[in-house]
Amino acid sequence: MYLFRLAMASLANRRFTAILTAFAIALSVCLLLAVERVRTEARASFASTISGTDLIVGARSGSVNLLLYSVFRIGNATNNIRWDSFEHFASNPKVKWAIPMSLGDSHRGYRVMGTTEAYFEHYQYGRQQHLELADGRAFASDPFEVVLGAEVAEALHYKLGDKLVLAHGVAAISLVKHDDKPFTVVGILKRTGTPVDRTLHISLGGMEAIHIDWKNGVPAQGNGRISADQARNMDLTPQAITAFMLGLNSKISTFALQREINEFRGEPLLAILPGVALQELWSLMGTAEKALFVISLFVVLTGLIGMLTAILTSLNERRREMAILRSVGARPWHIATLLVLEAFALALAGVTAGLALLYIGIAAAQGYVQSAYGLYLPLGWPSEYEWTLMAGILLAALLMGSVPAWRAYRQSLADGLSIRL
Amino acid sequence: MPRALLALLLIVALPLWAAEPRDLAWSEMIPPDAPPEVPNMTPLHDLSKMGDALAAESAPAAKQDLPNAPVVKALDGQQIRLPGYIVPLEVSEEGRTTDFLLVPYFGACIHVPPPPSNQIVHVKSEVGVKLDELYQPYWVEGPMQVKPSTSELADAGYQMEAQKIYVYELPE
Repeated sequence: MYLFRLAMASLANRRFTAILTAFAIALSVCLLLAVERVRTEARASFASTISGTDLIVGARSGSVNLLLYSVFRIGNATNNIRWDSFEHFASNPKVKWAIPMSLGDSHRGYRVMGTTEAYFEHYQYGRQQHLELADGRAFASDPFEVVLGAEVAEALHYKLGDKLVLAHGVAAISLVKHDDKPFTVVGILKRTGTPVDRTLHISLGGMEAIHIDWKNGVPAQGNGRISADQARNMDLTPQAITAFMLGLNSKISTFALQREINEFRGEPLLAILPGVALQELWSLMGTAEKALFVISLFVVLTGLIGMLTAILTSLNERRREMAILRSVGARPWHIATLLVLEAFALALAGVTAGLALLYIGIAAAQGYVQSAYGLYLPLGWPSEYEWTLMAGILLAALLMGSVPAWRAYRQSLADGLSIRL
Repeated sequence: MPRALLALLLIVALPLWAAEPRDLAWSEMIPPDAPPEVPNMTPLHDLSKMGDALAAESAPAAKQDLPNAPVVKALDGQQIRLPGYIVPLEVSEEGRTTDFLLVPYFGACIHVPPPPSNQIVHVKSEVGVKLDELYQPYWVEGPMQVKPSTSELADAGYQMEAQKIYVYELPE
């Protein structure tokens, strides 16, 4: 114990270098842990976004692409599919439920999704949880009703009965708006921690109604305009939708139906199993994750080598210190232990400070990361894996500390008390 | 006395021995009396019908031949061990697959029909399995449940509540 006190006192004597060294280690540890944290949380949030859906069907593109735009609202659809294709498969005897989705519009950067009541009834996330309304009700027969995700309502301060205008396209600042047909907020969903929170849900009829008087890609001018009231009395059955989700009666028939959809003669369609597409997405991201992890490991290594350099360079100027210790009865192994303890103390301080830095960082950036990237970073205890990483760093520091320890051990034997200046 | 001990040991060990799963081959899941599949090989005499034949071959290609393939009822309740590929259906937040289809082959081979329903096992697992590669085969152990087809809606098929899932390695 007195050795540890001595090591601390010696470090305190050189506190400026010591603090800098510990800080370098802290930064590197923080980076390593942050990379690990973001990786696991991103995976968890992706995995918990969709559950219970057996097939997702869209226009023919790639499976990862279809999964990203239909479920995660990342990227854009390549093409629409016809409404009668949806009806054809929704009435298939193998199908238990079907949710149509129509995407492409937005409201202040939040995506708008046209769907039916089936969405609130059958869509599942997390561990087979259903969507729940925090306030109000699902949209009903009137086309101009909207149900907000929890985050949309919170960030834009909307409450029931508010009117809002949807914008054409998905840019955060939109220049073309559907301002002649405002929507009324009728419901607000409970928070789910999924992209549903950042989505505005309208009926397919509403989606059709806001585009009903569009001609050649621009809204109609003058007499061609159709007012909201006129639109209400028109046939609002959609011609096309973007994608649909299917739940099947029997999971065994998944492949059969997937095959049937992929070979549908009416139009080219693509059906994917969300679990498989997610797995493909992960193996895609896996490479980037590994690269990031290796880089942050090297940064930690750099921090530890910095510590080694600092201790090694201090050895020369501390010859006198060592000699005095020897003269008052310290044995060579005392000197060696002293140096190993010093390295360990520096690394421990670094790891602790790094952990603290990580939590301060998460606490500060939590809100921003959630709203900008939809990624929720919880302030939980470090996982088992993170503890292992930190223990590994400390072990590496001990190993590194043994290098100056060995040198001091040898020198203290050779030098003894004879100081050659 | 030693004999009594031995007998006791045997009694204790018996249920253990009984629980030892039996290795099942995928071919055993097709009933031996299942009607053989006869390829359509009617000769084409009239060349003017060549177009029809080609059209039939070109598109809606391979459908699942037997969506309600017959199952082997004797397998119901048996403790078995089956190797196969995992097609994830449900992934937990920890990234573990808790609900999946086990199939004898996997990959992007779209030239032949998907496996018939008696070559697919719907597996549920409480703990789940951490899947790194879709192309990694696994052993799955557990009691088999056989559901014979009852109606048009529910497909016949095999189900299993997995007790153990581990990586299949090539026998050296």
